[in-house]
Order: sequence, then C-alpha cells, then structure tokens
Amino acid sequence: MMATIDVSFLTVQVLSALRQAAFLFLISSGLTLIFGVLNILNFAHGALYMLGAYFIYALTLHLTGPAGFVVALLAAPLGVALIAAVIETGLLRRIYVQEEIYQLLLTYALVLIIDDLAKIVFGPEYKSIPKPDAISGAVTIFGGTVPVYTLLVLVLAPAIALVLWYLLYRTRTGKIVRATSSDREMADALGINMSALFTLVFAFGAILAGFGGALAGPARTVFPGVGTEVIIESFVVVVIGGLGNLWGALIGSLLIGTLETVGIIVFPEFEMSLIYLLMVAILVVRPWGLFGRPLKIKALSEKNLGMEAQEISPVHFSVNPLVRVIPVLLLLAVPLVTGRFYQYLLTQIFIASLVAVAFNLLLGTTGLLSFGQAAFYGVGAYTVGLLATKAGVSTLPALLLAPVFAAAVAALIGFFCVRLSGVHFAMLTLAFGQLVFTIAFKWYGFTGGDNGIQGIPVRPLPGGVEIGSTQAMYYFALAVVGVSVEILRRIRSSPFGSTLKAIRENTQRAAYLGVNVKLYQWAAFVIAGAFTGLAGGLYALMEKSITPDIIHWTKSGEPVFMTIIGGIYTFAGPMVGAVVFTVLNSYLVAWTEKWALVLGIILLVMVLLLPGGVVGFVNEKARAAFGKRGWVRRWTFSKSAAS
Amino acid sequence: MGAPMDVLEIRGVVKSFGGVRALQDVTFSVRQGEIRAIIGPNGAGKSTLFNVMTGLFPPDSGEVIFDGERVSGVPPYRIIRKGVGRSFQITNIFPRMTVFENVQVALFAHHRSSRNPVGLARRYPAVASEALGILGQVGLAEKYEQSASILSHGDQKRLEIAISLASRPRLLMLDEPTAGMSRFESRETVELLRTISREQGLTLVFTEHDMDIVFGISEKIVVLQQGMVIADGTPAEIRANPQVRKAYLGEEISA
Repeated sequence: MMATIDVSFLTVQVLSALRQAAFLFLISSGLTLIFGVLNILNFAHGALYMLGAYFIYALTLHLTGPAGFVVALLAAPLGVALIAAVIETGLLRRIYVQEEIYQLLLTYALVLIIDDLAKIVFGPEYKSIPKPDAISGAVTIFGGTVPVYTLLVLVLAPAIALVLWYLLYRTRTGKIVRATSSDREMADALGINMSALFTLVFAFGAILAGFGGALAGPARTVFPGVGTEVIIESFVVVVIGGLGNLWGALIGSLLIGTLETVGIIVFPEFEMSLIYLLMVAILVVRPWGLFGRPLKIKALSEKNLGMEAQEISPVHFSVNPLVRVIPVLLLLAVPLVTGRFYQYLLTQIFIASLVAVAFNLLLGTTGLLSFGQAAFYGVGAYTVGLLATKAGVSTLPALLLAPVFAAAVAALIGFFCVRLSGVHFAMLTLAFGQLVFTIAFKWYGFTGGDNGIQGIPVRPLPGGVEIGSTQAMYYFALAVVGVSVEILRRIRSSPFGSTLKAIRENTQRAAYLGVNVKLYQWAAFVIAGAFTGLAGGLYALMEKSITPDIIHWTKSGEPVFMTIIGGIYTFAGPMVGAVVFTVLNSYLVAWTEKWALVLGIILLVMVLLLPGGVVGFVNEKARAAFGKRGWVRRWTFSKSAAS
Repeated sequence: MGAPMDVLEIRGVVKSFGGVRALQDVTFSVRQGEIRAIIGPNGAGKSTLFNVMTGLFPPDSGEVIFDGERVSGVPPYRIIRKGVGRSFQITNIFPRMTVFENVQVALFAHHRSSRNPVGLARRYPAVASEALGILGQVGLAEKYEQSASILSHGDQKRLEIAISLASRPRLLMLDEPTAGMSRFESRETVELLRTISREQGLTLVFTEHDMDIVFGISEKIVVLQQGMVIADGTPAEIRANPQVRKAYLGEEISA
C-alpha cells in the first residue's frame, strides 16, 4: 500500500519537474543561441516569452476548438519572431560595435518598454488562457493524477529540441551558426554575411521564447512583468550550463526544474534561495558553467558591420574646486526657501547619488558591470534597521556599522565574482544579489520577511543633535553623502584609481605591469559595496521603515540607469542621472502609470544616440567652447592627468 | 664569477595544447646584457614560448629560471615585479588614456604607489618627470597629451615599448616589436632598442620576421622549428648552419 502511494506521488512530481524543465529549456535555448552568435545577453528574452503567451491569449479569443488552439500555438511564436526581427534590424544592429554593456542595456530598456506596452494593450490583470476540452482533463498514471496538458508539453518540448538539433547539426545554415558561435572572428574572416545571420538567429531565438510562452501560458497565467521572473530563471539556467552552450541549457533546465520541484516540497521557505545557491556553488567550482569555456574576445571587424564605433572619450577635465563648492552652497540654502516635500525629494536624490557614484567606481572606472548592488544597499539598510530595532543601538553607531557589514558581504561575494569578467561577472553578481534578496524576503524570524522592518527609531546624534525631522535629515544626508562622494572622487583621481582605469582599458596589459588585477578589482568591489551600504543605512533612517523590495534585482538596475543617463566616464554623471531618475520617479508615478515606459524610452534613446551620457555630452561641448577662451578654461577646468 | 651570468634559463620546456605539441624540450640560456633573437617559421612555437616565459600559462614540464629563481608557474604580475618586461605582437596599450597616463600608470605599478587610494595621481612630480623622460627616450614626449587610441601604429608600438620600460626591467621580451611598421619606423625602433640595451645593460629577447633586423642587431639567435630548438648560436653560426638553411632560411641569408 505504502509503495503505491510513493509511486503515484513520485510520478506526479517527476512529471511536474520535467514540465518545468521543458519550459525552461524552450526559453533558455533561445537565450543561449542568441548569446553564442550575437554575443548579446538578451534581457528582453523574458519579454518575448510574455508576448508569446499574450499572443496565444489574444488568438484563442477568436480561434476556438482544438484546431484553433493548434493554429494559435504555431502563430504566436511567429508573431514574436516578427517583432524580434524588427528589434534586431531597427535597434540592436546600430550598436553592435559598441561595448557589450550597451547591448545589454538596450535589451533592458526593451524590457521596460514591452512590459508597459503589454499593460496598455492587455491590461494589468492576470489572464488565463482557455485550453480546448480535449487537452484540459487529467489522466491517472501509476496512481497519480497528471494533467493531459503536461503530457502534451512533454511531447512537444522534446520534439522542438529535436528540430533544433536537426537544424543546427544537419543543415548548412546550422553549421554556419555553430561555426560563428565557436569562433566569430574566423566566421567573419570567411566572409559569412553576419547581418543576415544575426537577424536570423535573433528571430529564431525569439521563436523559441515565443513558443515557450505560448506553451506555458495555458498552464500558468500571463501578466505584465511575468517576463522578468522568467528571464532571471533562464539566466540561472544558461549561466549554470555555460553561456552559449545548448547542452548546457538542457542540463541546466533539468537541474533547475528538478530543484524547484524538490525545493517546494522539502524547503518551501527557501525554494527560491536554492536555485541561486546552486548557481553560486557551480560557478565557484566551474566559473564558466558546466559546459562553458572562458570567452574569447569576439571582435568583429568594423568593415563587415559597415559602421564605425562611436568612441566615448573617457579623457576629461576636472572642475576647479571653487566651481565644485557652488552646488554645495546652493544645497545648504535650499531648506531656507523650500518646504518638506522638496527637502525629502533632495534627500532621496542624495542617497541615490551615492549609490550611483559608488556603482560607477566599478562600471566607469574599473569596467565591471555589477547587477547586484541592491544586495549591499539592502545589507546596509537592514544593518541599521535590525541594530536600531532589535539591539537598541544608537543611530550613529548603527549607521557607521552599515558600510562595515556591507563591505564584509561585498568582500565575500566579490571574492568569487572577480574571477569572472564581462557578462559572467554581471550574472554572478545578479545571482548573489537575488540570493540576498530571497534570504531577506523569506527569513521572517530575523528580517521580518516580506513585511520588512517598521518603526526604525532615529535617535539623536552624540551631542544631542536631533536628525528626526525632514530638515535635519536633509542636512545630515547632505553631510554624509557629501563627504562620501568626495572620498570616492579622491579614490578615482588617485594612483589606485589610475590603476583601475588601466585595468578597464586593458586587463592583460595591466597584469603585465605587475598589477595583481583580481586584487584591485576585488578592492574596488569592496569599496563600492561599503558606500552602497552606507547609502542603504541612510535610506533606512530617512524612511524609518524598510522592505525587501529594496534588494530586488530591479533595484540593482537603477544605478545602471542613472550612470548611463548621466555619463559613464564622468564623475558627476551618475549624480546627474540620480537627479533625473528620482525626479522622473516622483513626478511620473503621480502623473502616469506608464512610468517604466517613459524610463525605457529614455534609456533606449540615450544608448542609441548619446552613449556618453548627458554630462559626457556637455563636457565635450564645453571643452570645444572654452578651449578658445583660454582663461575661462584655465579657471574653470584643470586638466586632470588621471580622469 | 668573472663570466657574465645567465639571466634567463629555459630548461626542457614542454607545452601541448589538446594533444598538439607546441614546445618540445626547449632548452637555451640568455646572458646578462645580451640581445637575443628567437626565430622560426610561423607556428614554430615562438609566441607559445613567450607566453610560457612570461607566465601566461605554465609549462607541462621543464622550467624557466630568471636570475637564478624558478618562475615557471608564477602568475605574470609576479614575474613582471621580479624585473621582466614584455611587449606584445598585437599592440597592447591602454587606448582611451593619454600617452602620458599610459606610462604614468606603469610607473605607479612599478613604484608600488598603485595601492595608494587617497593621494592625487597628478601630485606625483617625480613620476611625472620620469614618465616624460621615458616618453622622450622613445620619441613620444611631444604627444604626451594625446589619447593613445589616435596614435599611428608605429607610435603605438613605441608607446608599448615605453610602457614596458617603465617597469624598469632587467630583461625585456619583445614579441615582434616592428610588426606592421614601415621600413623607416622599423629601423628607428631597432636603433632605439639597441641604444637602450647598451646604455642600461638591459637584456633583450625578441622574436622577429624581418631577417635584416634579426641578423643586424642580435648577438645570439635561437631557431625553433615545430616546437624544437634546431640551432642556437651567433648570427654567423646560424648563417652557416646547414639545417637552418634547409629548414627555414634558405635563400634569405644565402647572399
């Protein structure tokens, strides 16, 4: 008797794990294929999945019955492919010669745009997709009840995998795709038409995502933003398997599908943490994934792409110290003429500025794109929140411990991350960040889980200085951020900062100067983590309550956005970006619900037209203008030998 | 004691890549102050040997001794700190930094000031004058303010030599220092290297395709073929070596 119960339970669970793996494989195979050939990690792949699900939803409203369902199931991915082809030829193609981070950012902008467009077209609510009667029932296998639809998925997904295998290994185009994936330079030199190949592969990858969405939609539900959940899972799958490797995507899908199913049964609390833990564990042992290899720099000749790279000049002038003091003086006077709303808004801007400037020590100065900064922000905020509410620690010591704990966490995370570079580095920081997020989100006993921490007391500073009021907090944040930003500026202009820039420009050459590259990258990571943690601590004091939302990976995207808006190779750029972002956030949210759309369009325009950012652009113009007026230039700018 | 010391010794180095033997039992030594060329047809293993000698990857067996100390298996940044400089076949500079900054950052690394995160880089007058001095040596002093990315190919090669010199190496390894240069630029570069070697007692090890340069400046030559040393001697000996003539040089040095 016991045995039959076990068998039926096992059957249901195994099939459910396989179904999950099948969905994951459909999505991540397209993702990894695109990465292999185009060298782009497509953030918008989850959005394409979502479109597949929405398309089948819209189609089945009109096409009913089994035949209608089949038509919808086939038509939806083709619709997605069409959109993908437009994206590739209209947008992505323009920036292939740019650094890889710009391609990543463009697809990230597309996520924001497509998500909001879906909300406008289909509405914000969850949609379920009706299945024809023939496939909506359930059957009994070994005593377990299994939906017929699961069986359908388990037939169709391997069928798709076989078709994929046939196309890649048995057709001429497939051979070209594989050749390009393993050695792009060689394929380029052989005269393969890269433009056509890129469009083809991008659209084909989109078909797989769209099919994944169309197939998963009727089993799950679809709603705007479902893509961001899906894409993170797929990232984990392809990074575990090895970026660009299809077998890796298959094994990764099976691993994650199984782990998710087992995790829900055995550790319901920490199911989400488990997949990030697995990813971290695998990358610690095999930094390039199970089947991955260290990436070669896949340079494409500019001639082949028919365009020239737009060089973003990182050589800049530093502004005269007197000029730098002016904004500080103005900020000191602000509370005299404004009310609490603006003081609060500016305090938010100060904190965001510190996050962005610290982030840019990694991106702009060292050349490392971290997608996990929210983790350190969260550690800082929770340090202050927990110490103040649970241990009764006074405000100033609690705030001072925020960067200490954040630095400790950054030291640990950074130790593993700096062994990787480029996209791998970004993905590992993302995974670690999400690991921290899931811990804060689920550990009710310690962090308060998704309720967070409310009523964080703000006690007077030593000497009896009250900082509880909006105005006092304004001045306190201004002082802390002002000093921190000045320290970060010094670091950037120091010999240490010059060395970081050398690492950004040419890692190999830097090693051949006798520089221990990993150690320097690690140090930069810890410094950035510490200041991000300090900003998080300030945030906890300003808001007096925190929730785990502040650690979610979408929060890690904010400093990226700010830095690109303001100017990646400028010191002031991230601060300008913080102003733009925070102001947009405050006003657009009140004014329209489509604020992600606006944000996405701004990011898209910046990446395409002004990759050097607002400050980078102004710098160029100012240098051109003031160069003629020697005395203005001498007074306002001093040439920095180390910018 | 009296005889000049061997500064670099390669002992029985073997290196394979996926079953292909790139280097087979390579053995030779280089004396202090010597100018030594490593030649051989394409695919003979010159670049692999360079990469093994500078720690990019360890040899499968055998060892590399620099200044009496075993350096095989030591990461590049440590080998550089012991006094080895290297330039690359494909120009390897910091493109979006100024010419001055390229050398300045190399000097920071050499003087161990790289780890200072608080002082301002521009407040290092000694480093600045040293950098300008090195740029003067290679003939780039006038262009110190320019972005390295806009320099001509020859100037970029010279800049790379300047970067390598900034580490104040006792042994400088140059992988095709004149690749892609015009004849005039090549001759200038060769003169520059010879002068630096003479004035500073610097040991030079280089690979080169141009036989005029090889026989013009080197004091000893090692010939590699299919990963093996087939000859090791003075230019005259190499010229006279029938194996070398047959295998590789042939007509080029018959005149």
